[in-house]
Amino acid sequence: MSFGGLTALDQVDLRVHAGETVGLIGPNGAGKSTFFNVVTGIYAPSGGQVLFRGDDLGRLKSHQVVRRGIARTFQNNRLFWQLSILDNVLIGMHLRQKATLADVIVRYGRTRRELNACAREAIEILNHFSPDLAAQHSRSVLDLPQGDRRRVEICRALASRPTLLLLDEPSAGMSPDETDKLMEDIAIVRRKFSGITIVVIEHDMGVIDKIADRVVVFNFGRKLTEGTFAEIARDPAVVEAYLGEDDGA
Amino acid sequence: MRKVGSILLLLGLESVGFAVFVAFMVAEGLGAIMAVLFGVLIASLALGRTKRLSEALRNLFEEHRKLAIAWGGLFVLALPFILHDNPYAVHMLFLAGLFVALAIGLDFQVGSTNLVNFATASTYGIGAYTAALLSVSFGWSFWIVLPLSGLAGMLFGFVLGLPTMKTKTYYLSLVTMAVGLIIYLLLNNLSWTGGPNGIAGIPTPTIGGSDFADGLTVFGIELPFQANFYYLILAVVLVEYIVARRLHMSKVGLAWNAIRDDEIAASCQGIDVTGYKIMAFYTNAFFDGLVGAIYAFSVGFISPENFAFMLSVIVIAMVLVGGMGNTAGVVVGAVLLTLIPEKLQVVEAYRLWLFAIIMLVMLLARPRGLFPQLVRQYR
Repeated sequence: MSFGGLTALDQVDLRVHAGETVGLIGPNGAGKSTFFNVVTGIYAPSGGQVLFRGDDLGRLKSHQVVRRGIARTFQNNRLFWQLSILDNVLIGMHLRQKATLADVIVRYGRTRRELNACAREAIEILNHFSPDLAAQHSRSVLDLPQGDRRRVEICRALASRPTLLLLDEPSAGMSPDETDKLMEDIAIVRRKFSGITIVVIEHDMGVIDKIADRVVVFNFGRKLTEGTFAEIARDPAVVEAYLGEDDGA
Repeated sequence: MRKVGSILLLLGLESVGFAVFVAFMVAEGLGAIMAVLFGVLIASLALGRTKRLSEALRNLFEEHRKLAIAWGGLFVLALPFILHDNPYAVHMLFLAGLFVALAIGLDFQVGSTNLVNFATASTYGIGAYTAALLSVSFGWSFWIVLPLSGLAGMLFGFVLGLPTMKTKTYYLSLVTMAVGLIIYLLLNNLSWTGGPNGIAGIPTPTIGGSDFADGLTVFGIELPFQANFYYLILAVVLVEYIVARRLHMSKVGLAWNAIRDDEIAASCQGIDVTGYKIMAFYTNAFFDGLVGAIYAFSVGFISPENFAFMLSVIVIAMVLVGGMGNTAGVVVGAVLLTLIPEKLQVVEAYRLWLFAIIMLVMLLARPRGLFPQLVRQYR
């Protein structure tokens, strides 16, 4: 993947197994978010393949990638700011509603029942994480603190019933308290949506240590190494990537 | 006892509202006109500022929804009877209905999806010219021509939508302006559209042997012929309103809102952004085409001047003043912005000046429109 003369991702060879939680770490500009954007079809790769359950995702647009069972959150939450909490989660169920334009206009009764059923399920998803959010589902997402905004975004991603969930730096902008709750939330995701595969980009090593089964390290658009958190933490190459060249001090 | 009280309150409120409206329609003096206008503005401000009042009113209407609609509908149907000795007022109501239909449709794009389309006059014009050409050249009946005009508008909306998808925000608006200009120039210069002279002699519609040009006499009241067209546009507005509400409370309305708020996030929820944007174009354009046909048949003569750029701007203003994404609000906006300039004829030279001031005051007091989009409620 390259932008003009800049190669943002180069020969990244990364495998993720079904059901595991993989932490993706690396210094700023290492290409972690770019990697997510390529997988979810926001950028088209200039070379290579993205295989998901045997299908090449490389040529697919974002909305087609979702259909294959991949959902994501964004580094700076991208919620639908003029809408309510419930509407935000409900939009995550877009593909699950079968109604067509003709159904909406001519067979509205059936369409509405489908919509209402989805709304009830959306409230249930919110309820897994926070009964408060579920109870106040008509509030605007603009009124929510950072922690709750991220939570709504995770609920929206889960609403499509994905098999692969991509979390782009979920703890960004959170207080330590909120970060603790986030880790509980991710534990809830794994419990309530069993079998789900998660790839999470994170700078907070505490979070990575606690939730990741396996850690992959990116640097300068390439995969530096991978392993368990304990292995990664001992690896001098990783320390160097984060702290810069060791002058032999 | 409480229930009877709330029913009486509801009927009373609606009746007062309609009494004010009728007073406005027949008012001659500037003072009376301005009093009504500022009454509406203050009511809207009060609703916006005091949450309890607006919630109480909303609950009141929700509780007796069917009754509220029936009572309000009765008034709307009765208007030509109340104003039967004032054909001009009934014609104003017809025009208001015409603009309501255009504004509700445009809200699919401007309000729901944030596609600020400046080509309403063109789609409306395509509908009108389709109707005029088919009825004058081939002698086809109004009832066949009407749906065909809608389809012609829809096809044009689709064709307009495709190249527009390459652009966003201001650039999208610019493209639609350019297309609007092209259509206007084509209508002026093509020989088969009659050039600047337009098309004359469009026959009035007939239904069951009676001509729309003849006034009906119902319950001993002689209605002006304009009432026929009023009821026709009312039927279209009713259908369009129901369609708009259904679209709003469905995955389509949610997808449009999602695109408005964040296109990339929308596509990552599985929404085909291009497809839904084009859908906003052609659903809007279908109704523009229908309304254009009704206009052509009601006046009997059309020329390119009826479909100039200014009309598109006015319909956008109606959506903004009424409240983007709120169909009922858009109706209020369209009615006000049709009737105000007409009623202001009493001040002649100062008409547009005063109209501009009224628009400014409304938008300064209520920047998101008189009645902004409400939170969706599910059951």
